[in-house]
Formats: sequence, structure tokens, C-alpha cells
Amino acid sequence: MNTAFLLNSLWVMVSSVLVILMIGGFILLETGSTRMKNAGHIAGKTILAFGISSIVFWAVGFGLIFGKGNALIGLSKFLYSGYDIGGIQLSGSVFFMFQLAFAGISLTVAFGGFAERAKLASYLVFALLFSVFVYPPIAHWIWGGGWLSEYGQQDFAGSTVVHLTGAMAALAATILLKPRIGKFNKDGSANQLDGHNQVFTALSVLLLWVGWFGFNAGSTLSADAGFFGFVSLNTNLAAAAGTISALIISWIVLGKADVPMMLNGSLAGLVAITASCGFVETLAAVVIGLIAGVLVFYSIRFFEKKGIDDPIFALSVHGTAGVWGTLSTGFFATKELATIGKPGLFYGGGFEQLGVQALGVAASGLYAFLVSYVLLLAVKYVIKGLRVTEEEEIIGLDMSEHGSYGYPELLHSENLKGDQKFNSAETKKAIIQ
Amino acid sequence: MTDYTYSELKEYRQQRIVLASKDHFELNRLHDELMIKAVEISIERVKEELGEPPTSFCFFVMGSAGRFEQSVWSDQDHGIIFKENSKLAQNYFLRLGKEIAQGLFITGYPLCDGGVMAGNPLWCKSLNEWSVQIKNWINEPSWETIRHLLIFMDGRSLAGEDLFIKELKQEACSLIHKDHLLARMLDNTMLLKKGVGLLGQFLTETHGPHSGLLNIKEKALYPYINAVRILALKECITESSTLSRLQKLSEESIPTSKRLLYEKQFYQLLNFRLLFGDHSNYDSGHFLLVSKLSTHQKKEVKDIIKNGPHLYQFVRKLVEKEP
Repeated sequence: MNTAFLLNSLWVMVSSVLVILMIGGFILLETGSTRMKNAGHIAGKTILAFGISSIVFWAVGFGLIFGKGNALIGLSKFLYSGYDIGGIQLSGSVFFMFQLAFAGISLTVAFGGFAERAKLASYLVFALLFSVFVYPPIAHWIWGGGWLSEYGQQDFAGSTVVHLTGAMAALAATILLKPRIGKFNKDGSANQLDGHNQVFTALSVLLLWVGWFGFNAGSTLSADAGFFGFVSLNTNLAAAAGTISALIISWIVLGKADVPMMLNGSLAGLVAITASCGFVETLAAVVIGLIAGVLVFYSIRFFEKKGIDDPIFALSVHGTAGVWGTLSTGFFATKELATIGKPGLFYGGGFEQLGVQALGVAASGLYAFLVSYVLLLAVKYVIKGLRVTEEEEIIGLDMSEHGSYGYPELLHSENLKGDQKFNSAETKKAIIQ
Repeated sequence: MTDYTYSELKEYRQQRIVLASKDHFELNRLHDELMIKAVEISIERVKEELGEPPTSFCFFVMGSAGRFEQSVWSDQDHGIIFKENSKLAQNYFLRLGKEIAQGLFITGYPLCDGGVMAGNPLWCKSLNEWSVQIKNWINEPSWETIRHLLIFMDGRSLAGEDLFIKELKQEACSLIHKDHLLARMLDNTMLLKKGVGLLGQFLTETHGPHSGLLNIKEKALYPYINAVRILALKECITESSTLSRLQKLSEESIPTSKRLLYEKQFYQLLNFRLLFGDHSNYDSGHFLLVSKLSTHQKKEVKDIIKNGPHLYQFVRKLVEKEP
């Protein structure tokens, strides 16, 4: 066994662990951006989703992506048992773990669109369906030797495969679930349903940012020549640029330095550089991140204007930034770095690669949306509604779906009564009576 | 004995308010008339219930009513100062305070969220107790007591002994000077909300029922009201409206040209609020439908908004120069 094989395996194993830790980032992101009464439920279902996704990936997902098959789907390597896989310079089971982690992340992104109103059963059933019918086909097309890889589609670590796919499923879900109670007024204006903990949200961004070194730099699948260092460098630059540009744009347009917006900018930078991190120069990484930060700001406002309730901004952070990231290699991929496909528009490659990238975005996005929409409609029919009742939504999903609050001291009825002491109506009454 | 009820006052209000709303001064004269009549009814009612007042008193209004700057809808802020202290007097005037609050409420003035009403013992005290309370506020300044002090300084008598509130305000003013509290009082109101963005665009509400509208109260009026209140305190001017405070300021505090400009701009703001606010209910009255403004008016409002922070900085420098 040679040193390269060992080092590659070790590096990708470390990366797998980093990517799995991103699930922790998503737990903090989603709970921090939503209300207390749903916190236990959201945290718990994120772990549950990873559990389901892991089992399904082992049974069929991996085979559908990397198995021998046709341009549309793989059809072998089911129930993977740990053997080495030909054509890669690392341990088969390490490669499997790394891919399993990615499938888990994509599903987690999709569930962002379900937040604060979907039944637990909707999560359970859709976790299974997404992990078989939505993620694997797209991953096969681009990474498993399918039809888009034959065109030279560039998606280094999954702006499209992981993030756009997840976001399009989230879009289908949020459309079918309809907005949360209280999100929109009768005249169509939106209310701010603030998340309960900005510290969680900020910590989540740090956790995801660090995890992303596994996600992107691990996608080298090799320690050769230390190229993972360069990929990490690009990743970090784009995240930094997205952070800054989102803060600046919100300051210019809204007159305030909005913290949640800044955090979304960091994530948008990360999502955007995911496709291009191995194909572009450092300066381009900064530009890609800067643009992602601005795009995510306008995208969030756009969806809200359209009356689409996106509780944790999955559509904008993973969808819009995912599209931009995938297209960005069509502009910025360099001759030396484009190991797959052609250089981008600004590096003498003309429009060809940009066209391929656009095709990839359109095909994958459309497929993920339509299939998710149809599957969710079917689930809705079978389990009699995707959404909890109005009463359940009001008391919170912690109570309705699991029977106990994530923050019991704060949310139990007696304490709620205590809160009302400060309620102005009560104060007023005391003063006139 | 008055021969009408609160409900009749409400009707009277409804008949008169639309016409009066075309002019800032006329509107506020109507508010005064309504509030005074409501208080008269309350006094009569409490007399029937508890007899003649045990001692002389002053009923005063604060907040926008105190400043003679009410919009079409305006909530209540008021208090009572009575002369001789006794348990009997205290009970009597607390009862009167509650009656007035209820009467004003029926007449069309929402209750104060913060409980600044004469039925609250904090705002209904004998002259002596008031004097002690104000001393305590000044001696142990906290965010809350300074808040109270700022509210109190906008007080204006509506019924009874005018002198009580004037004396207390004078007393408070000299204590504030002695304790060098002006800067601290300015800090208390320092949270300025930006009304115009870097690109010169209006910063309107992004969320909630007033999306797309400009909060003229927080973003335009408050900086002027708060800065001018401090200037007035600096000279111990007991006047309570922003316009009359400005008129009384000396050349030493503010150059006449600036003073006249701010006066004109503030008056203009009050008119814009009346003309372009949605006065169908209390909440919406402070929001300006900027899309209805002409290009010239937009520019005017933006200039006024941008001048607010300038005035603020000016006052800050002046206050910090104080020994």
C-alpha cells in the first residue's frame, strides 16, 4: 500500500468528519433563525434526517450515483460493504463516507423550506424519497459519469449537486406548505418573524465555514501536491468577501448593518465558491464571494415580495448563490485549473463553458424542483396534509410533534402567564380600574 | 354641572376633526378643547361621588399633547399635582385620574402603553411629593428616571393651578443644571433612526403592516423634539411646544438664521404628517406615504430629515461645552 493512498484516505476521512459536523452547523442555523417553541423539534429532526439519509444512501443512494448504469442513473454497488473502488486513489469506504456526508447535507438544505410548520411525518417520508429520487440522479449526472459530466459540467464540490438540489426541494416544499401563520399581512406586506437566537446563527456560520474546508478542499479526494490548501484558500476568501458585501449592501439599502443578512452573506459566499473553488484564481474567488453577498440580499427580498415564506433563507443562500456559483466557473475558470471542461469567458474560453454551466443549472434545478413537487404532492395525499394544524403551529412543533419543549422553563404555561404581567393591556387595565 | 357626556364629546370630535386636521394649530386647539371638556366632566363626576376636591390641584398633559403637537390620533399622557398632602387627597385625585383616563378614552384618546396617566400613583402626587420625586430622579439618574424627567419637562397645565407645574419645572431645571445632567439627558434620546440612506433614498419600513411607508415620528420629528427640548432646558425655558421653545431660544444658544430654519422645517414636518399620513387609526398616523409626495416635497422631507442629526450634533457640542 503506497503513501499517497494512505494520505489521501486520511485527508478525505478528516474531510468527511468535517462535513458531518456541518450538520451541527445547520442545527444551530435553523434553530437560531426560528422561534423557541420549535427549537427542540428542529434540532432533533436534523439529526433524524441524517440518520435516514445515511441508511438510504448505503442501501441505494451510493449505487444510484456511482454504480454502473447509463447516462441518467447508476444501477450497481447497492448495499455497499466497504470494498475498494476502482479508479480512485483512496480507501473505498472513506470515499463512501465522504459521499454519504454530502447526501446528508443536501437533504438538510431541503428541509430548510419545511421549517416551523411541517408535520414530523412529512420529514420522515420525504427524507426517504429525496434520498432515492432527487439527489442521486443529479449527483450521477454530474459526478457519477452521467450525461452532464460528458458535457464537461464543472461543479467542484457541489454548488449545483448539493446546494441547488436541496434549495429547489426547499422551494417546492415552501410553496406547497404555504407561509407560516403571521408571516404575511392581508395586504401582502411581510412581517419579520425574528429568529430566537442570533448567537446560535453566528456560531452556525463559523461551524459551517470551518466544515466547508472539508466540503470543498476534501473534494480534491487527494492530498497530492497539497492542492487542498489552494482550494481552502479560495473557499475562505469567498466566504470573507460575501460577509463583507452583504453587510455593506444592507447598510447602503436599508440604512442598518443587519447581522442576519451579514451571516447569510458568509454562507452565500461559501455556497457560490463550492462549484468553482478548484477552477479559479484567488482574485476571482473574492469577486465570486462579493457578488454572492449582494445577490443573497436581493434574493431574500425578492422571495419575500413574491409571498414565498423561506424561514431560514435556504432558497437564497443555497439556491440563488448555488446558481451563481455554478455559472461563475463559466466566467472565471482558468486554462491551468480547468481539469474538467473548458476555461471561462474571461480566460479565453468563450461562451462554451458558460453555456454548459447554464445547462447544468437549468436541468438540475428543474429536475429537483419538479420531482420534489410531485413527490411532496403524493406525500400530502397519502399522509393527509404536509402541515400541522393551526393550533399545533401556534403552540409549537416541540409540543405538537414531540410532547415537550426544547426550552421548557421558558415556554410552560405558568411562565407564559408571568410574561403577561408586562403586557401593556394588563398594565393599562390596572391603571384605569 | 356639565350637561353632556363623554360619548357626546366623541361625536363632537368626529364632527370637527376632519376639518380641523387641515391645519396643525387648529387641530391642536380642538384637541385642547376636547381634553378640557372631558376633564370638566370627570371633575363633575368625581364631585358627585366623593364631594368637592380636598385641596387645589393642577391637571397637566405631557407627550405630544403637552407639546401641542398632537396628530389626528394621539394617546394619553397626563398627571396631577395637588397642594396639601393627605391620604384623603391622594385617594381623591387617584380616583379623578382614573376617571379622566376613562373619559379621554371614550372621547377618542387611546390609553398610554407606558402607564403615564394620572391614575398611576407615580404621576399623581402632592406638590411636596412631586418635588421630592423630581429630586430623586435627578440625584439617582438611571435610564428610567431620566426618561421620566424628559416626559415631565413637556408638561403643560390643562385644568387647575397652572403655577404648580411651572414651579416644579423651574425647580427641576435648576437641579438639572446643578447636577450637569443635560448631556446625560441628551444621551437618553440619542438613538437616532436613519430616515435617508447612503444613496439618498428614503429608508421606509421593510416589514409589517406599514411596509413601504416612512416612520416620520421616529425618523424626522424625534430628533428635532429631543434636541430642542435640551436647548430649552439649557435656558430653563418652561414653554413646552417645540416651536415656542425654538422661538424663545437666545442668540447665544443658537444663531437666529439656524433657529428660523429649524422652526420652518419642523412646522413643515408637522404639516406633511397631517397631509400625507394615513389617519384612519392611531398606529398608521405616524407613517408617511412617501409615494404621494411630489418631487419637490420629497426633496424637502429629505433635507429636513438630514438636518435632524446636524441639529443633534450641534446641541451635543453645546452641552459638552457646559462647565
